[in-house]
Amino acid sequence: MDSKKRSTLLTIGVIIAGYAALRTVPSLLPEKLELQALDRPEGFRKFVAGETSGGFDPFFGLGTADSTEVAAQKAAALERVSENICSALYGGLTPTPTQVPMASFSDYYCPFCRVQTKRLADMTSEMPDKIAVAWHELPLLGDSSNLAAKAALAAKRQDAYVAFHERLMTTPFQASPEYLARLSDDIGVDSKKLITDMGSAEITRELEDSAALARVFAFVGTPALVIGRTVVQGQISDRTVREIIELEREEGWRDVGTAA
Amino acid sequence: MLIHMMVRFFQLRAWLLLLLGCMGIFLSDAVKAAESESFSNPAVTARLISAEDGIAPDAASVSLGLALEYGEGWKGYWRTPGEVGLAPEIDWSGSTNLKSAELLWPAPKRFEAFGIENFGYSGRVVLPIRARLEDAGHPLELRARVSLLTCSTVCVPHDFELSLALPQGFGIDTNSARQIANYADRVPAVPENSDIMISVTALDARDSALIVVATSDTPFGEVDVFPEFGPLVTFGKPDIRLDRDRTELWAQIPINAWTEEHAEPSVTITDTARAITAPITLTSDPPAPPFSSANPRASVLKVMAVAAIAFLGGLILNVMPCVLPVLSIKLTSVLKATGQTRQMTRNGFLFSALGVLTFVWALAAALVFLQWIGVSVGWGIQFQNPVFVTLMFMVIAVFAANLLGAFEITLPAALQDRLGASSARAGYISDFGTGLLAAILATPCSAPFLGTAITFALAGTPLDVMVIFTALGLGLALPYLVIAARPELVTRMPRPGRWMLLVRILLGGLLLATAAWLLFVLVGVAGARVAAFISALTAVFIIAASIPRANRWARRAVLSACVLLAIFGAGLISTPDRTIAAVDAMSHWQDFDPLRIARYVSEGETVFVDVTADWCLTCKANKSLVLDKDPVRARLRGGSVIAMQADWTKPDDAIARFLERHDRYGIPFNIVFGPGAPSGIALPEILTPQAVLGALDAASMRSLVSE
Repeated sequence: MDSKKRSTLLTIGVIIAGYAALRTVPSLLPEKLELQALDRPEGFRKFVAGETSGGFDPFFGLGTADSTEVAAQKAAALERVSENICSALYGGLTPTPTQVPMASFSDYYCPFCRVQTKRLADMTSEMPDKIAVAWHELPLLGDSSNLAAKAALAAKRQDAYVAFHERLMTTPFQASPEYLARLSDDIGVDSKKLITDMGSAEITRELEDSAALARVFAFVGTPALVIGRTVVQGQISDRTVREIIELEREEGWRDVGTAA
Repeated sequence: MLIHMMVRFFQLRAWLLLLLGCMGIFLSDAVKAAESESFSNPAVTARLISAEDGIAPDAASVSLGLALEYGEGWKGYWRTPGEVGLAPEIDWSGSTNLKSAELLWPAPKRFEAFGIENFGYSGRVVLPIRARLEDAGHPLELRARVSLLTCSTVCVPHDFELSLALPQGFGIDTNSARQIANYADRVPAVPENSDIMISVTALDARDSALIVVATSDTPFGEVDVFPEFGPLVTFGKPDIRLDRDRTELWAQIPINAWTEEHAEPSVTITDTARAITAPITLTSDPPAPPFSSANPRASVLKVMAVAAIAFLGGLILNVMPCVLPVLSIKLTSVLKATGQTRQMTRNGFLFSALGVLTFVWALAAALVFLQWIGVSVGWGIQFQNPVFVTLMFMVIAVFAANLLGAFEITLPAALQDRLGASSARAGYISDFGTGLLAAILATPCSAPFLGTAITFALAGTPLDVMVIFTALGLGLALPYLVIAARPELVTRMPRPGRWMLLVRILLGGLLLATAAWLLFVLVGVAGARVAAFISALTAVFIIAASIPRANRWARRAVLSACVLLAIFGAGLISTPDRTIAAVDAMSHWQDFDPLRIARYVSEGETVFVDVTADWCLTCKANKSLVLDKDPVRARLRGGSVIAMQADWTKPDDAIARFLERHDRYGIPFNIVFGPGAPSGIALPEILTPQAVLGALDAASMRSLVSE
């Protein structure tokens, strides 16, 4: 009886230990640079981080129940960015031959975006000779996100994108005229121009382009990154970002883009 | 025939069973009808459930629930999501016969990632919904457009529709009803229905934190506090303290973003199985923290054990570089005193021991008082005060000058006469002063064992503090007590002679080095200008004291002026000056940022934290003997470890809180965080290369596995 009990306990113990090992060991292993070539957009590849690979509607918030007019605008944006994906992704950048361009997609109401954008900004200032970042606003989380994104892009028109970004990343956002006026004073921009720009067609177009890019890359949420030609969904460690940058530098990201 | 009948009977039974089975399926379908089809993806599975199978005649309300099951690693948000995030929202337009639907929120959990505070749910949760009907007793058709945000390493928004039709009818879906009731129980109660009472809510003096005080008849268990002031006001992680009975709670919640135009404020307090939400009004009088920690009362045995450790720590303090010079003063005084009686020597040393104990008791009393009024206290923090450091510097510099022969400290003539006539009473005062000085100077040297004892004392009752500090004092005074017990030990010392001059110079040199160290501390605490000013004043003081035959009154005036100017000068014009730190800008040490530690660790990095201060000699010793020497230096610089330095030379709340969080009240404090030790491996006060490397290896275990 005793030995039976013992063996039962032993079996249970082994099962528990096995389960625990199964659950913990994979997470103890480092994130490997597992890259998967993408069919579309051609020439890009995806960093496989695991969990978020499938089962999501990748077109969330990108217009399912839109009016015909809006749907047409979105279709136009999709066509626009598909013509030259790289210029849509990295359009504002003029990277030197040694720099790898990076496109960051974020939303002000997404907790991980706060962390990731800050880290990418730090990384850019740490190794300016290696990377250049194009910031894309991808407001998926409702009206406040949308307004914050528009305000950020309007601030960019007055060269205050970084100041605005830093400010937004530390405080919640409210789009009342008084709040925007106060915020403009704080970061030293013209509030009237900021509010006018927020409603401009140019900014709408920029947001449409970012949304279309998200659609092209089938992003299910934020944060999302494209480093050279490697697509990353979700927050990843600095180390992995650096590894991908090095890989892109070695392989020469410039080979891409022409395909699309 | 019989057989035939039996076969028929069994056939009939089989049919009956089949029929019942089908009915059962049908019935169970009817039961399932009290929930909607589900929306599902890897992040979340959502269903709309109803406690009622149908709308009974005259029923005016229905109990519904939004059942959410978050995937592993995913979380969703409470009605106040925290710093960022979005609360779930339901749009009911398109429903028929629905007058109103009120979403209730079960008590949330706190999620902390990378210094961002979020409140919400993981795993299973049902958000109960109280729905009212337009027409009582009529069927209800629900169309719920749900928007919710889920986050793991990526934040994915979801927008989906759930529909549920409840026809007229009776019946309760027990499973759904149980789930709804279960989670409805977790919805925070109104204050009237709970024994938790929020007595005070106020902003602190600097408007940088919200203070909440609450009481409860039932002792608190696992408590958390969630203030809600609308979407524009966000808070950091609360500092929650309970009294010994765990019936009174004091919480300080740092304000991250504030606006005067906030919504009607409320505070939710969650406890193990209960919670309340109460509307609050801010009062202007913030109560101080009443309790230093929620530690249970320590047993007598434990207090005695810690007292023994404190005794040992005190004894070791005698050989630390800060105290050794003072022992030397005592030694010279013994060497100089020829022809002292046995009794006089004994008394002298007893007075020195009393000096040590007096300081230790005074310190203990001050600590108890400070704890009582709610100030966070630590060992050695008086060295963060420029006036204190100034005075110490002047005293030591004057002593050094005296030992080096600049002047003799002469006693008033009347006293000298009495000295000659009777006992050396005035000598006892100087003996007492020597002991006092030794104890004062000992504080910045947190010797081995001492950290543990002081930590224990500072977290205990006033009696614990007194017992442990007395033990510490006795340890420190032990050399004096030994000589007091056996005064003949002194007579074994060599006779006075020319060699004494040498000893005197040597000891004077030691004191001079101590003075130089204090000056260095002063530069860190008060700035280089103040240090220069104080050195000049001290020089004037020493010169004035050493001019022979100067006018007595003029001399006194100059000396007092020097001391007063020094005290006020140090207090008023001290400016923080960190030019010394700037020199090290290229070093491998990063500035201390406790919020980044968790982030680094989550990325698989190993973080070494060194809390140090200019006035901490043990820290300096650790630095030059271990941290700045290979192989530790090579390891810290190698890139595999993030080295963070916290400079506590001047008061810093963040550092004090960091120490307190790790149950330390003094420095040096070194701790290693890493994938193998997310909550940190604290190192002993005196470092050894083996201890540091061992802790680094243990903390970075995960990255070693991966290599």
